[in-house]
Amino acid sequence: MTTEAGENVSKTFKFSFPTCTNKEVLFKLEVPVDIPYEGSSRELVQRVLKMFHIPVYLEDELNEKLAEFIAEETKNYHNERDEKLLNQLKNGELNIEGIIKGWEKNFKENVLEFAEQKGSSDEEVFATAYHKLVHSPALETILQVESSYAKTVMNMIQNRDKDIKKLTERQTQEMEDKIRLLNISTTEEEINALAGKHFEEQSVAAGHWESQLDALRHAQRAAHRAWLMTALDDYQLNENATPSNSPLCMFPPDLPGPIQPAPPRLEESFTIHLGSQLKQTHNIRLVAVDILDLCSVNRGDSGTWNRAQPALGLYSNDLSAVVLLAEHEPSRSPLVALARQATEHHFDDVEIQLRDIAEKVKEPAEKRNLERVAGDGRGRSARVKRSLQPGDVYLSRHSNLADAHLVYHLVIDDEQMKAGDMTSRHPAILALRNILKSASCNDVTSIALPLLLRHDLTEEMTMSWCIRRAELVLKCVKGFMLEGSGGGGAELRTLTVALPSTTNQTLFSALADLLTNIFRLAGPVRQNKLE
Amino acid sequence: MDEEEDNKFASCTYFARNHPGETCGSNGLPLTPSSVTILGRAQRLLTIEHRNLCTYLDIIRGKHERIIVVAEVIGKSLAEHTSKFSIQEIISIGVQIANAMCYLHQQGITHRALSDDNILIDSCGRVKLYNYGMYYMTDGGKEVPFPLGLPRYLSPETILNGAGPSADIWSFGIILLELCIGKLWNTLKPGPILRRILTLVHANNPAERIAREHDCYDSYKALPENIRDIIEKCLTIYPSERSTFSEISEVLKMINNQKPIDLKVPRGLLGCKLQYLYHWWQLAGGDIISELKRNGLIKNSPPILAMPIAILLDGCTIGGKKNAVFDRRIAKYSLQILKNRLAHISPHDFYPLMHEKRKECDTVSLPKIIRERDTEYQFYRLLWFQRLLHGYPYTSQYIRAQAEVDIPPLVRGDVWAALLGVFGDIEDQYERIDKETPTPTDRQIDVDIPRCHQYCWLLCGRAGHRTLKRLLKAWLLTNPQYVYWQGLDSLTAPFLYLNFCNEARAFACLSAFVPKFLHKFFLKDNSAVIKEYLAKFWQITTFHEPELAAHLHDINFVPELFAIPWFLTMFSHVFPLHKIVHLWDALLVEGPQLPLFMGLGILRQLRDTLLDSGFNECILLFSDLPEIDIGECVKVSIEMSRNTPRSISYRRFTNEPEIKDPMDVVEVPMEVLLAEICPRISLTDFFSLTCQEKCCVVDIRSNLLYEKSCIEGSINVPYSGVHLGQHELRALGLHPSKVLNNVIAQKKTVIVASAEDETAQLFSEYLVKCKVPRVCILHGGVSALQSHVPSLFSVPPKRNGPK
Repeated sequence: MTTEAGENVSKTFKFSFPTCTNKEVLFKLEVPVDIPYEGSSRELVQRVLKMFHIPVYLEDELNEKLAEFIAEETKNYHNERDEKLLNQLKNGELNIEGIIKGWEKNFKENVLEFAEQKGSSDEEVFATAYHKLVHSPALETILQVESSYAKTVMNMIQNRDKDIKKLTERQTQEMEDKIRLLNISTTEEEINALAGKHFEEQSVAAGHWESQLDALRHAQRAAHRAWLMTALDDYQLNENATPSNSPLCMFPPDLPGPIQPAPPRLEESFTIHLGSQLKQTHNIRLVAVDILDLCSVNRGDSGTWNRAQPALGLYSNDLSAVVLLAEHEPSRSPLVALARQATEHHFDDVEIQLRDIAEKVKEPAEKRNLERVAGDGRGRSARVKRSLQPGDVYLSRHSNLADAHLVYHLVIDDEQMKAGDMTSRHPAILALRNILKSASCNDVTSIALPLLLRHDLTEEMTMSWCIRRAELVLKCVKGFMLEGSGGGGAELRTLTVALPSTTNQTLFSALADLLTNIFRLAGPVRQNKLE
Repeated sequence: MDEEEDNKFASCTYFARNHPGETCGSNGLPLTPSSVTILGRAQRLLTIEHRNLCTYLDIIRGKHERIIVVAEVIGKSLAEHTSKFSIQEIISIGVQIANAMCYLHQQGITHRALSDDNILIDSCGRVKLYNYGMYYMTDGGKEVPFPLGLPRYLSPETILNGAGPSADIWSFGIILLELCIGKLWNTLKPGPILRRILTLVHANNPAERIAREHDCYDSYKALPENIRDIIEKCLTIYPSERSTFSEISEVLKMINNQKPIDLKVPRGLLGCKLQYLYHWWQLAGGDIISELKRNGLIKNSPPILAMPIAILLDGCTIGGKKNAVFDRRIAKYSLQILKNRLAHISPHDFYPLMHEKRKECDTVSLPKIIRERDTEYQFYRLLWFQRLLHGYPYTSQYIRAQAEVDIPPLVRGDVWAALLGVFGDIEDQYERIDKETPTPTDRQIDVDIPRCHQYCWLLCGRAGHRTLKRLLKAWLLTNPQYVYWQGLDSLTAPFLYLNFCNEARAFACLSAFVPKFLHKFFLKDNSAVIKEYLAKFWQITTFHEPELAAHLHDINFVPELFAIPWFLTMFSHVFPLHKIVHLWDALLVEGPQLPLFMGLGILRQLRDTLLDSGFNECILLFSDLPEIDIGECVKVSIEMSRNTPRSISYRRFTNEPEIKDPMDVVEVPMEVLLAEICPRISLTDFFSLTCQEKCCVVDIRSNLLYEKSCIEGSINVPYSGVHLGQHELRALGLHPSKVLNNVIAQKKTVIVASAEDETAQLFSEYLVKCKVPRVCILHGGVSALQSHVPSLFSVPPKRNGPK
């Protein structure tokens, strides 16, 4: 509990000494002193001596007197305050229950000894188990299992798509036939009824598939958990046990299909130094890729080992994140469709996560919005309809994405982002600052963000527009990185700045030049030859 | 018993408070993290030594606002003692606690968390308080999210959120009472305990009331009266009526009839200073964090589980981790790995003698950074330096000689002070300086300090800022001839960093440093001083790196563009602290000419890049200096400094006495200095080089004069015959070019002797363009030499063959 500090009182120190010529006449000295006094009383004496031209022979006496005075007054200060409190207590003027409740809560919540017995949460137990297993020989098996799970989901999704496509084709055919007969043997009413029926069929089919998918995901999740926990027990019993008793038999190893070479993309990496005296090393990767690709589901098509990196890092202190530009409504994120292509074994399903966020964010955000309107003075109530405003960020966690454990959804106003005259005080830039700060506080060591703060190239994004925008973003990001390095969290190691995938070579190399101009590249270490 | 002896220190850990959201301080900069504030405040605790207090050894700032406190530990805590103590023992424990607390209160430190688990007692009955500084380092608990202390020891006014130092007396009373009648309120939860304490305010005699509550009234009454008396004096409701620790300590001392515990001073390893033991233990591989982990005091909770769900634009974070709870337990460390590491060292070596021949360690040949991490090497060095520092100032010569080898990081502050000749009552001198009264420079200082070496957690906290400001103000006040130039803050930073709790010494070091290395640099008009310094730097660059110098001359990239902050701050503005200390280690030993060579050392590391760069690239390169290998830079600069004649680096603006002897003079008017590319050498230096056959004189007078009388061993290249446009030695003719190439190969110094300055300047410039290193001009030319050292002159032998 904090004491009521800051209420310093000023006391006057009085001192008198005789003049040289006449013992009767006294010089009187009055110095106001703050109690409790923070500095050294001896230094104060020196200042007093100098300021009032007091003869030096009084120095020792003054030292002694002032120290005594301060000690006495400090004691009185504390005692008086405490006496007042105690008297209030005696007279029943204090809310004793409230005070005791406060202490009780404080002890219970913050000191282990008094905390209610709580073991690790389910989440934590599973996290520890998983982390241990992926760092054991069981890793390969885990990856295979997960990949085959993902494959099952994919297959089902493909079946669904096929099914729905078939249905649609049939319906279209039917409708066309019907329309051809319009006014011959059918009426408009009949057509409308048919359309209604079609729609119903569609939604029934979709619902059917969706529930099937959900059931599959559920089953997979449960199976995955159960299997992992038993695997952990086995592993702990016998550290050397190769996971031969793993359900490998149920899941035939992936036969590496014809590996498709990834389409060549524009990409360049730099190692940079940041900081004026103490230098920090970071990696920056400039790449032209659709940022949604970075958070696509890891299908494991291109070999199971692609999964290894995200799995190893999931519960570690090296997380990776992607910044995604998003709309106001969390549930409308394009991520939903993407991330649901494989089962989320560790966290809530994306849809649930986003719904949850929307609910929890509502209250604080709306409160903030109200304050903002009140602060503005003018009622711009039209814009306050939505709870999340441009510049706000929400986060979702994933275990099944290719390059990200975390997705920062940066809420933007798409129209605003087209403007060419963005400044460093723009909400999107400030949000980037919040993101980088949160990243460093939460052990996110690699992060990818859209350099132009747009996902796609559009016509107003001319060469000069792009360079201007990139320069602003890079310079601001540089500042934020410098700022973050003292924050006490993890250092950002890799920063990926993504350009729209359609970026051409000229723009790309112009931006690469820009990057090297803004950041100091770490030169190769030179061995100095002496002579 | 064995275990008790083995554990010499222990650590505890906690999280500092997180600042909510995006708050800024009054200066518009982000708030200092709480952990940094704690770190700064806790530094003072590291200096406190008292026989009944566990010495603080280290405060570590971990990731995510974690603080780890390492301190000495002995025996077991009172809480762990199950057996009852006799009255005699209780009195002895009481005296020792009272002594410790009395000392703390004198120091202005309130404990506020005195409890049975931080009072340690060993098998001999010695008592020490452990981690007594929590309240102090957390600024009265403001910087941590958890409450300090245990409920049953809190005084009534503490519960009401008041409490000054006298709250400690209440806690002490409760502890005495517990020792006498057993643990109080043992089964109760915090709430009921606090409620009971508060109801005590209505009791006339709280101690008796407590005893009654515990059905111990009889055993309480059976206690000796003087003990009850003390307990009751402590457990008074109103703080003003409570006793003080000095009173208690006096009374207890009177009734304590036990002999003071005299412990045998251990010899050998355990007799060494605890700080040294801790340092060596860490070097030997001791790991504070891993032991904490093993004891479950640091838990690895995966960060992904603690992520917030949203961050609003104003920085407000929604969801996410809660504060981890504070675990009061401590982790103890065994010295075993250090003992094993040093097992083979003979007892004799623990007590090095001043005049004994020192054992040569082959570690000396390794780089400094490695030596600083070598347990055994540091063991020998620290003990030796401890001995030398003990004898300071009478041992300054020895200290200087040893510092030339290296300085153990642990005593660097002391050694630097010794090298700078700091001694006497510096505290008193410092006290007399007014550091509080506002002055016009305060504004600039306030702006600069939050930008000065802020990556260093000590310097970026409140304590660091405050002390740095006081130091700067004190220095400016004591040096009225000087003004505040930006960079003075960086210059002060290393001294503050090394003497964080010894402001007076930091100030004394700074005061000694400036006149020695930066004489007149901080004048209001310092242009002449800086110009001379840079000109000298440029000449020395030319002397050692002619090719580089010629290139930089060509592209007009002059030192004014980059080197002013180097020299004005003695590189402290350019490098991080861990590099500056190594740089300055050398500086303080070698003297004021070394910085010139250090500048050159840096240029040399960038040589290849610079040679390929034009003006713009150079500007860019220096605007953000790339990594420099400081070890290499120091080595090279010392080597160059030592084999460069003294007069070459002569500067007028030093605080050394003026040179009168015409043999030693090299001073020239400022305009001449600025115009000359090559440095001048004094007659004395020339003479000694000649004697060592380390130079070659190029006489550029006409051959007529030369043949009449010339410096012995010199070659004659008549200036009138030189084509200044042709930058090739071959153009000088067969013989001179052969001689010069020979000279270059043997790294001899080339001395241009002439009858007039102008030709000497032009010819030396020509040699530089031909990439001839070590070119300098003989001060005063041939005539001066002839009048002072005529013995060097002779008639040249007639050479055969064509001229």
